[in-house]
Amino acid sequence: MSGGDVLSTLLASEIRADLLVLFHRNPGLIDTVDGIARRIGRTSITVNADVGELLQLGLLKQKRIGASEVVYLDRAKDRQILESVANHLKTINIGGEK
Amino acid sequence: MAARIGGPSSTNPHDTFEWGSEPVDSAKRFTAETAFSAVLVNTVREAVGNALGHNVLEILTMKGLLDEASNSREFDRKLHSLFGNGAAVLERIVVKDLNRRLGIRYDSEARFDYEKSLETAKQVCFVESRLK
Repeated sequence: MSGGDVLSTLLASEIRADLLVLFHRNPGLIDTVDGIARRIGRTSITVNADVGELLQLGLLKQKRIGASEVVYLDRAKDRQILESVANHLKTINIGGEK
Repeated sequence: MAARIGGPSSTNPHDTFEWGSEPVDSAKRFTAETAFSAVLVNTVREAVGNALGHNVLEILTMKGLLDEASNSREFDRKLHSLFGNGAAVLERIVVKDLNRRLGIRYDSEARFDYEKSLETAKQVCFVESRLK
């Protein structure tokens, strides 16, 4: 996946951007999808698809703790993803042409 | 509480900002605009930095994204040239953060207009500066 594709995936919705902000502000956060949804003022139904996309991208990971399925930030993968975004943005001129 | 705010469409011949019957002189207006611009730039830095990381923020700063952050049209143009459709999402998180700082309600379901949102925030910022 190119840096541009990664960027499009990250900024595909306001909920996804809210999730990015939440996990970057709290990189050690481990919570259920329901808890994460409440932290950004939404319901689990509305955030499910976006959490799923970030899991698929590898930025978030999921594991079972006791009876709960929790989600957390994969910091190494996050660094790698943001690096690819940064490298992509380096190639773009603010006027619009590469 | 009555406030009248002179703006681009104001009929006020001196384009002054008024609070009740008391006009605000251009020096105070300049101070208020400078203060708003600083709040906005800080908000953009924080919102973009939190969403995409500080490396990305530094690249965007080097590319001049924040040079005229208080000029909403110019900022919007630059953001679109860099992020395409993602620009609207970034603008939303900037406005959400700005509104939180200024105590303005944010409704993510409502139709979004970046320029209008900034204008509202600017007016609130001006009124608050008058109350201090």
